[in-house]
Amino acid sequence: MGSLISQIATVTVMNIRSLPRRLWMSLAMVLASAVVVAILLAFLAMAKGFETTMSSAGSDRVAMLMREGAAAELNSVVTRDQVNLVEDLPGIASDKDGPVVSPELYVIVDGIKKSTGTEANIPLRGLDSRGMALRGNVQLTRGRSFTPGTNELIVGEGVLREFDGFDVGSEVRFGKNTWRVVGAFSTGGNVFESELWADAKVIQSHYNRGSSFQTIRVQLQKPGDLQPLQQGIDADPRLNLDVQTEKAYFTSQGKQLQYMAIFGRVISFIMALGALAGALNTMYTSVADRAREIATLRALGFSNFSAFCGTIAEALVLAIAGGLLGSAAAFLFFDGLNASTLGGSFTQVVFRFEMSPELFVQGAMLALVIGFVSGFFPAWRAARLPVIVAFRQTT
Amino acid sequence: MNDLYLIYKNMTRKPLRLFLTCFAIFIAFLIYGAVTTLKSAMDSGIDLAADNRLMVVNRINFTVPLPIAYFRKVAAMDGVKNVTHANWFGGYYQDPKKQLVVMAVDPESYLRVYPEVVVDPQQKQAWLRDRQGMLVGEKLAKLYGWKIGDKIPVSSNIFSHKDGGHTWDFVIDGIFTGNTEQYDTGYMVFHYKYFQETQTFGGDNIGWLVLTTEDPSLNEQVAKKIDETFANSAFETDTSTEKAFSKAFIEQVGNIGLIIFGVVFMAFFTILVVVGNTMALAVRERTGEIAVLKTLGFSSPRIFKMVLGESLLIALIGGLAGLGAAHLLIEGAKAAMAQFLPNLVMGGDIVAQAVGFMLLLGLVTGLLPAFNALRLNIVTAFNRGGA
Repeated sequence: MGSLISQIATVTVMNIRSLPRRLWMSLAMVLASAVVVAILLAFLAMAKGFETTMSSAGSDRVAMLMREGAAAELNSVVTRDQVNLVEDLPGIASDKDGPVVSPELYVIVDGIKKSTGTEANIPLRGLDSRGMALRGNVQLTRGRSFTPGTNELIVGEGVLREFDGFDVGSEVRFGKNTWRVVGAFSTGGNVFESELWADAKVIQSHYNRGSSFQTIRVQLQKPGDLQPLQQGIDADPRLNLDVQTEKAYFTSQGKQLQYMAIFGRVISFIMALGALAGALNTMYTSVADRAREIATLRALGFSNFSAFCGTIAEALVLAIAGGLLGSAAAFLFFDGLNASTLGGSFTQVVFRFEMSPELFVQGAMLALVIGFVSGFFPAWRAARLPVIVAFRQTT
Repeated sequence: MNDLYLIYKNMTRKPLRLFLTCFAIFIAFLIYGAVTTLKSAMDSGIDLAADNRLMVVNRINFTVPLPIAYFRKVAAMDGVKNVTHANWFGGYYQDPKKQLVVMAVDPESYLRVYPEVVVDPQQKQAWLRDRQGMLVGEKLAKLYGWKIGDKIPVSSNIFSHKDGGHTWDFVIDGIFTGNTEQYDTGYMVFHYKYFQETQTFGGDNIGWLVLTTEDPSLNEQVAKKIDETFANSAFETDTSTEKAFSKAFIEQVGNIGLIIFGVVFMAFFTILVVVGNTMALAVRERTGEIAVLKTLGFSSPRIFKMVLGESLLIALIGGLAGLGAAHLLIEGAKAAMAQFLPNLVMGGDIVAQAVGFMLLLGLVTGLLPAFNALRLNIVTAFNRGGA
């Protein structure tokens, strides 16, 4: 047993030390495996980043009420009367100022995207101090909050990253209204950072909304428990509202880039087939190159199995080297990469590519599969080739 | 023994290697063909835009409405040939998750501004007369199996019907086709008046105006005039050419598209490098044989051609097969993707480009070994070969 292991070790070391002799072929295999891994990681990181941005925005403690049938905040309308009725519903948490209810407006304005220099949609959310308190993780990173009743707004960190002209202290014009940016806020990297916030009353008057709002957010007494609220809504025909937790809303919106992950997997699977063909070529060449060497070893008494393992080990080393290279490249180029795209509410969602450890695991697995498959068949051939034939063959 | 036979023999001496090499090229061009077609389908809105068509939207954003009065005001301006208006309905048919492109439009002017929309004159008259009528694109009608005369309920995820609920009943009066195959007929339009009378809120607002100018050279002048007329009003406008508007809209989807295509092209080229390396090595292995051919009296240019021909042939076999597979794949996916990407067609330019890359691959991988073969000194070759 011990001798078998030492045999395998000897053959493996020999193979690897002879790699420089087949430099170009070996490099080709490393490259092939690197590319496949990098592509897979790029797509997964994109989908992952988007999902994190969306799903981390939703809270279990908060229920969202929209007009029934409205799939996104943008499409919903809620009247002042409905807001008053909602405030009296059961199941809503209270603080010293009464029930924690935040009626909000959601309009779209244009901003100039840094990456393309073209106009893109940014949501301008109208809320009040209760709405900000409701989102537990709001932090002002610069400046101060807007003063109610004035044309002041605060800007999310995501908007600052992706759009021009929203620096704190500057003035922006939407239509004929001029707004002053007085502060910047962070909400821990989630989708709210892709928004501008201002006083709801001011937006109502600038956008001819009368006294209407678009959504109502309420803090629940018991996280995730919509039962009492739902019953209250069902009982009152004036409240034609759909209710769901904020978490459920954003989770469904976060699924939007799932097709990216699927697309990425399909593409990298097809690519992997191509890379596999390249890798197999490399390994067959490598085995052909050492046919005499392997035959000599076997003539000396090394077992077929050790010759087999030696070749597999060589393929694995090359593929893993490629996998590492690919992961490193993907990490370098894509991790934290800023991107933005149209989200469910027809507005820009700013997110970052996220290269999480489990993605690396997936990349490593892919590299191992490529290494194993591309090593197996040539190794099989090397181990099976009769010694006599190998010696007779001229290279 | 002619040269082609020799090339064939050389190629197939290691069938496995030949297969693997061709397969890798096949995959590379399969992906290239599929992804470029996808990209061109995404960009097609820009290419199909008419030169003299302008879009007028609210300066704040195109989702913010404009007053209907602008329709008449713009129509009266110099240089404006036809103008129409439209509202986004946010429509869906039975399943709220499957959005339909449904717009409430001013019927007569809409058909004037969009000559791409081709309707049978009889159907057109029927639609113009019928306030509840719907004009449906051929593609959409096929997708849902709708026929003329069908009564269909279409719901809105934005508006409410004044009789309660969010569903409107329509009668299909006509099915339109496009004047070219590329024109996307995956949408439907109905009377603005019907919409205005039955909605509960929204008032006399329109979503946007579309107009054609007398001549494309007037575009800038007309756009400026419109925006100046409405400057400092409660509803300022932003007028741009249809082309610029579609481009901006596509860019909203964002740099993720750019990143994806960047990544895929990088991969495409890497595979070519990997494969090219193998192909070049395969020729180098045969130094000894080439020396034998030369000894036998084969002229250097003839050998040069043979070596180059071999790599070109391999590149073309793998590449064309890959392109063909991409074509089949796209034809298969066409129906499923029709809603998002209407113009999924592999154009001649894509094929030409791909063939260009195949030739390039064949040349680059074949040229260096072929040159070496051309200049090969027989004596050194035999020494080196050790055969």
